[in-house]
Amino acid sequence: MISDFIPEYCSSPILVLGCGNILFGDDGFGPAVAQSLLAKADLPEGLCVIDAGTSVREILFDITLSKTRPRRIIIVDAIDKGLKPGVLFRPSLKSVPLKKLDDFSMHQVPTSNLLYELKELCRLDVELLACQVQTIPGKVAPGLSPPVQDAVSRAVEMILRAASDDTHRGANAQDQLSDLRRI
Amino acid sequence: MGKTITISPVTRIEGHAKVTIYLDDSGNVADTFVNVVELRGFEQFVIGRPVEEMPRIVTSICGVCPWHHHLASAKANDAVFGVEIPPAGRKLRELCQNIAYCSDKILHFFFLAGPDFVMGPDADYSVRNVFGILQANPEVGKKVVHARYLGTQMLNIISGKSIHPVTAVPGGFSKPLLEEERQKVLPMAIEVLEFAKFAISFAKENLFSKYLDAINSLGVIETGFLGLVADDGSLEIYDGKLRLMKPDGSYEEFEPKDYTEYIGEHIEPWSYLKFPYAKKWGDFSMDLDSPSGIYRTNALARINVCEKIATPLAQAELEEFREKFGRPAQQTLLYNWARLIELVYAAERAVELLNDPEITSKETRVPVTPRAARGVGCVEAPRGTLIHDYETDENGLVTNCNLIVGTTHNNAPINMSVKQAAMSLIKDGKYDQGILNRVEMAIRAYDPCLSCATHAFDETLSVKMDIVDASGNVLAKLEN
Repeated sequence: MISDFIPEYCSSPILVLGCGNILFGDDGFGPAVAQSLLAKADLPEGLCVIDAGTSVREILFDITLSKTRPRRIIIVDAIDKGLKPGVLFRPSLKSVPLKKLDDFSMHQVPTSNLLYELKELCRLDVELLACQVQTIPGKVAPGLSPPVQDAVSRAVEMILRAASDDTHRGANAQDQLSDLRRI
Repeated sequence: MGKTITISPVTRIEGHAKVTIYLDDSGNVADTFVNVVELRGFEQFVIGRPVEEMPRIVTSICGVCPWHHHLASAKANDAVFGVEIPPAGRKLRELCQNIAYCSDKILHFFFLAGPDFVMGPDADYSVRNVFGILQANPEVGKKVVHARYLGTQMLNIISGKSIHPVTAVPGGFSKPLLEEERQKVLPMAIEVLEFAKFAISFAKENLFSKYLDAINSLGVIETGFLGLVADDGSLEIYDGKLRLMKPDGSYEEFEPKDYTEYIGEHIEPWSYLKFPYAKKWGDFSMDLDSPSGIYRTNALARINVCEKIATPLAQAELEEFREKFGRPAQQTLLYNWARLIELVYAAERAVELLNDPEITSKETRVPVTPRAARGVGCVEAPRGTLIHDYETDENGLVTNCNLIVGTTHNNAPINMSVKQAAMSLIKDGKYDQGILNRVEMAIRAYDPCLSCATHAFDETLSVKMDIVDASGNVLAKLEN
């Protein structure tokens, strides 16, 4: 049995998942952030970045079932909360209604209930880094709007700072992702 | 006074669906509709683009079936460019198709459909999910995730990427498989095969046997079936001819490029999604008593249309299946059983291909030259027959594009199965959560991917049933 193989998305201490569909305007924010990170030659040690596109749920389910998991997961996604386009913010998982914690609808990714399970049942540090969209078109139309495009580099810097701080503080640091929490 | 029951969204399927059940004055089901959202605008978006970009672009259509879109698109490109790809290139594509199949089958059975069987359809929804399976069978959970790890790792070694693949290119496969890579991947494939054998035994002994009554009653409809077969009639998921089988088991075959001669697309005013149907079987009708033109795709269809399966373990499973349920089997919940037979086949076939000396040949690709042409690529995606149809101008730029994805083929059958399930379960206006979940089970059996386009962080996601009178007044609400 090849029992020693663990995917990097499970074995890395910090996992960044860029989520979204690049075919639908600002919904491509998460993948754009992931690609910007992956283009850097000197990613911090222990940081795994995946352009998950619309495939993130498979990764999350594997992590949920896995004995070896990242210590922290940063989900990067585009969200419409009626804020100023391009604003970065951090939605709280605590806002998830209890009634929906177990309805594992899959394609609407990342499902908030699954993130809740990862955070509460698997005791992972799950963070959401979201960007307010300007528009997500109803038909296929790739390309980020200017304010969301501008937010990509800011999100990249935040994640790199957070990962660097985490590395220096070690695995038991309680104030991880402090930069993100100040958003 | 009539009532309306709405289930929206249906859970544990790919995408969103809203089920509306209309009751008559006596509280029995008058009609049902399954409304879905479809990918809109893709075919227009690609007009004017170089056709060779298509295999890369189409992986963004769907996060669930990226490999299958990728391969169908590459095959359409081969046809557009008019090339025969080298045997090693074909085998590497087929290998990736089979490995991706394994991962998908495991995902669907254990994460999506399995909880209904493991925990039971009447179990509280808070435990009727993969975590419930884990708590009830922790060792199964370990095996599931390990097999999926292996699938990811195999695709990474063979193609460099398991998500958003890029290695299938017009004319072949861009990366030959090195011998040392083959030696790494082969034992992984053997391990996945061992898991496949465990999975189907586990399901037959512990799950399906408990629910034979449900299998034989829930969502059962009589339709034809469509799927790829090899020249000798064997199960095929990468290549071959399309076999269109009538409900009585008779069939005709055609090349995928000729699909428009056999498959029509019906439109209903209440759904954005088209309803493909068999043109030569008469007018389209979803009437449960006298359906017309209706066929199904996906695992049960493939298992029904094939004469045999070319790998020994899957063939033995097919024989057992046919002895129990006949051919063609019409029970909708048998999709789940058929899916596990296919898991065994895909794992066996992956091992076969990795033992083929030709798989490490360096000749994996031929050059291509743009031309004005039409090309159709067809593979069996886990969710059904997937057709990519492109036309190009003399510069190789796309001038026309038509896609028929697996779930679209099953649009009419899903609607019919929901109606059958609802009519058999809802009597005199009486229903509860267990009944609602059984209605959803009929949909989940098809493993539909209803909207590759939908993506939003939805904090109000829930299963909802509204009961509304004929005047639009909400009489009652049920949610989970």
